[in-house]
Formats: sequence, structure tokens, C-alpha cells
Amino acid sequence: MAIGIAFLVGSAILLLAGVNPLVAYYWLFYGAFSATSLVETFVRATPLLLIGLGLAISFTARIWNIGAEGQFYIGATITAVLGLYTQSLPQPFTFFLLLAAAGVSGAAWALPPAILRAHYGINEIITTLMLNYIAIYTVSYLLHNPFRDPVSSFPETSTLPEQIWIPILVPGTRFHMGILLAFFTVPVIYFILRRTAFSMKLEILGSGRKTAEYAGINVTRLIIQSMLISGFLAGVAGGIEVLGIQHKMRLEISPSISPYGYTAIAVALLGYLNPVLIAATSIFLGGIINGSMTMHRMANVPVGMAGIIQAIMIIFIMLGYYLEEKFATKLLERLKQ
Amino acid sequence: MIAELVSGIVYSSIILLTPLLLAGIAELLVEKSGLLNLSIEATMLMGAFTAFMVAYYTQDLLLATITAGVAGIIMCLLFALLTVFLSLDQMVIGLAMNILTIGMTSYLYRASFGWYVSPVPPHIKETIRPIEIPVLSDIPLIGEIVFHQIPHTYLAFLLVPLVWWFLFKTRLGLKTRAIGEDPQVADYLGINVNLIRFYILIFEGFIVGVAGSTLSIAYYNMFLDNMTQGRGYIAIALVILARWNPLLLLPASFLFSFIDAAQLRIQASGVIPFPYQFSLMLPYLLTIIVLIIAGRKVKGPAALAKPFKKVR
Repeated sequence: MAIGIAFLVGSAILLLAGVNPLVAYYWLFYGAFSATSLVETFVRATPLLLIGLGLAISFTARIWNIGAEGQFYIGATITAVLGLYTQSLPQPFTFFLLLAAAGVSGAAWALPPAILRAHYGINEIITTLMLNYIAIYTVSYLLHNPFRDPVSSFPETSTLPEQIWIPILVPGTRFHMGILLAFFTVPVIYFILRRTAFSMKLEILGSGRKTAEYAGINVTRLIIQSMLISGFLAGVAGGIEVLGIQHKMRLEISPSISPYGYTAIAVALLGYLNPVLIAATSIFLGGIINGSMTMHRMANVPVGMAGIIQAIMIIFIMLGYYLEEKFATKLLERLKQ
Repeated sequence: MIAELVSGIVYSSIILLTPLLLAGIAELLVEKSGLLNLSIEATMLMGAFTAFMVAYYTQDLLLATITAGVAGIIMCLLFALLTVFLSLDQMVIGLAMNILTIGMTSYLYRASFGWYVSPVPPHIKETIRPIEIPVLSDIPLIGEIVFHQIPHTYLAFLLVPLVWWFLFKTRLGLKTRAIGEDPQVADYLGINVNLIRFYILIFEGFIVGVAGSTLSIAYYNMFLDNMTQGRGYIAIALVILARWNPLLLLPASFLFSFIDAAQLRIQASGVIPFPYQFSLMLPYLLTIIVLIIAGRKVKGPAALAKPFKKVR
């Protein structure tokens, strides 16, 4: 429903720009879900999925971590830098070591806003967003100066040695093992969010800090935990992107038309914070990102379209929540009579 | 020499301050009524975009500024519809509107000017010029700095006492504060909560839209993707630093802009060499520091960001 409306509004905007929406959407879906482009859609979906799963945890507690973009950048940079020094270590030990480092650094980047929110009630949306800018400028500095590949003409690190790249599963494509790993995380997070006392606490905190305190929950600890988990997964996503796809750290590691850290917010919300739906949404939006690039190349549609479609979908899904609630209360009233 | 340096820094800090103060004073009023509007980032960006487009095609800067305000109103009407009348989550809607607007403006910009990046991006020939206030601008030192600014700056300075007067000296202002503290009780007392919030959001839309126009048609002569660069969020942080007091917002945003202007000057002079990235990240770092200093255990309006549903 929301998807349909988003595409309808999208067609209106396309018509305004003088593009035939049918042609544009053909290329959008061709670039997203045709047999040849499906693998690339999964490549895009992987960071979105990992970050989105982490955000689902903090969003369940209504802790709005908007800083995934920064956490992703920091995790990716740490991986690319450490990776240059760990080539002599045996596999798969290096792989897990590097991903752990990525996750921990992502979590560390989420720690200050977590503490500020938990102890002092400082709005985490603003602090995490500010830290995104700080992270990207820090990484930009590191890539221009100390960690710059001396041979490259771009601000990027040297390419990592091939033995620490994540192995490719389907030859001739970029389908690597990290993609599977990301999708194996889905049941884990599903279990955490459905079957544990932890998720119960998150939901209670989500319904109000006072309620959670009355229920005897250690609210400060819970806020910090939920932020750290989402930061950790965002960092891991950065690590996997570096080891599986880029094989180095570049400033453009996140697509500028639809940065992973921000798009993952849409993924988590559109997936109703449900891990299975988040997996589906990450594939869908991953496809939209690639598709809008194809649409750009083949039908001359500017790339901002991806963001427009996402945002309209979020707004209409929110409207859906509202209408559902309205119908539910009406139904209840009827039943009472 | 030192006096010249300081006055130079003060002059540029007033330039940096203008969009922040305009957005901040409008947001302060909105927050007083119990809404947290994160989408002012989007509203400002839309204002910057609209102002540039109108100025580019008509060369009429006054018209451009006013259309920027109208575009801002449309953004805030959308926010009002979703959060005030449908009681949806203000944080989520604010974020979604920000994503929407970044995509929308960059899309429309490319749709109008073509998608290839030309070596010289489209720009306007005339930008909004500073206006000297007669008599006052003749005051030595202060006159040149304070009374030789663009009209938007005077509007910002004017709004500070006006908003204070509205909030603390008028009946409507009292009602506004009441619905920001406890909309339920205000509702029982017969105050139309949604209507007041609606009016205030329209005001905010215009002011924040105009704040956006300072970026694209006064201080720069072009539009850049996501050119607000988080200024909307910084304005929200400044409201917290000012503890929701309009009269404190002026010194708060001045202090913020002064530090930023000073470091830009130091960076440009090369006296103390440090990488430009640190210079660029300073406003964001400063925002966090501001929140740490000011945001601890301060109580904003009690009903801030809580959805209000009328109980019948």
C-alpha cells in the first residue's frame, strides 16, 4: 500500500520532470531485480540489513540512534587500517579479529551519545547526528594524511592484501560470504527481539522511562546497551563492506545518493522493527538504490529519486499505523456496544 | 590591530549567526508549545532551494525570500498535518521529512539544470546586499559591525524580543506555554491545543524558510546538495543552551558563532596550522559540548515531543 503510493507520487514527480514514469520504473526494476543485477542488490542490502537490525534494537526502546553513518565509517576505517598489519595472522582468525575491531570501534563511537542520553537525558538524535559529521571529517583527515595510499591519486588507504578479503562464493560476481553472514544475523536478532527478557525491557522502556523505572529496570544501563549493540552492528557492517567489497577505505564508501547509515533508518522503520521484514526491506531498498542509478543512466532521471521514494513510504506507513489504530479503537467500541 | 581583528570576527560571527538565530527563535516558540520539530532542517533546505530557484529565474531577491518562506510554510503544514492532527511520532516524521527533502531538492535541482556536472554550477549574479541603517550605522565600530548587515539579520534580532513579549506578555503566549506543559489540562480549560500549535508551525515555516534563503541567495550565490549541513539540528541544540528563553537565545547563538568565526579566522591565517577537516567539524563538536554543558538535567516544556490526542 505505502509502496504503491510512494511510486504513484514518484510518477507525478517524474512527469513533472518530463520523464515517462513507465520507462523510468522499467529501468528502476531492471537495475534492481533482474537476474544480472540481483547480486549487486544483495551487495547493497548487506550493510543496510546489519545496520537496520541494530537500529531495530535501539528503536524498540525508542532510543533514536541516527549516528549509524558515523559508526559505519569508523568501523570501516579501523578495519582497513588494522587489516594492513594483520596479513601474517592465520584465517579465519584475522577475519573475526577485524570484524570484532570494527564492531567495537562502531560501538565506541556510539558510547558518548549513549552516556549523555542515559545519564543526563541529552537528546541522542542531535548528538548522534553531530557525531556523523565529526566521524566523516575525521575519516577524511585520516585518508588525506596519515593513512593515505602514497601511490593513489585519491584519498584512500592502500588496497588490503588479498588473503584477508572475504572469499567470493559465486565466481564472477561480488557475492561474498559476508552477505550470508549478515543474513544469518537475522534469526539471532529475531530471537533477541522476540524471546528474551531483554526485548521485554526494551519495549517497556519504549513505552516510557517512568514506566520502566517503576518496573525496576536499570534504565541507564539499558539505554547504553541498546545504543552499543546498534553501534556494534553498524561498525561490523563497515568492516564487512571493506573486507568483502571495497578492499580498502574510501571516502565514498557509502553511496552519496542514499547513505547506508541514513537509509538503514528507513529500513528499520519500514520493516516495523521486525528482523524478518527488515531483511526484506533491506533487499528492496538496496534494489531501489541500484535501480535509481540504472534509471539515472538509462532514462536520465536524477538520482535523488531513491530518497524521495523511501521517505514517502515511511510517511505513509506511519499513516498506516494511525489508521490501523483508529480502526482498532472503532472496532473495540463497536464490540463494547 | 587587535580591535580590527576582533571586529572582523564579530562581523563574520553575525553572518554565521543569522540563519541559526532565525531558525532557533522559531523552533523555541514551537517547542514552547510542546512540539519538537526536527524537520526544520528540511524546512531550511527547502527554503534555500526555493529561494535560489526563484532568484535564478526571476532575479527578484525579495520575491525569492518570500517564496522561500512560503515553501517553508508548506513543509511545516505537512509536519502539522502528520504530527498535530494525526498525532504521529514527531521524531520519526521529522527524520522522514529530512530524508525526503534532501532527495527532493537534489532531484529537482538536477531536473532543472541537467544531470551532468558542469564546471561552473548555476549561480545568481546578484545576492542580497547588506543594508545600512541610517544614523545607527554611523556609530564607530559597533555601527559598522551590527548595522551593516542583510535584512534577515535585523529580522532575527527583532524576533528575539518579539517572541519573548508574545510568550510572556500576551494571553495567547500564556496559552502556548500552558499547552507545552500539559496539553490535557489546557484542553479541559477550553484551549484549542491543535489550533494554536498549527498557527505557530505556520509562523515557524515562514521564518525557517527565510533562514534557509540566507544560505543560497545572500551568503552564497548558488544551491548545493544538502547545503544546510545540519544547521537545523544545531539550532535545536542552541534552543536547549538558551534553556527555552528567547532572551538567552541571542547570547547563546552569538557565543556559538563567535567561536566558529574565530577558529575559521585562525585556520585561514595559518598562524596555528591545523587540518581544515578539524575546522569544518568544529561547529558539530561545539554543538555536542553545548549540549553537555547546558543540556544536563534541564527541564524543557513538560509535554515536549509527546503526541497529544484529544480525549472525547
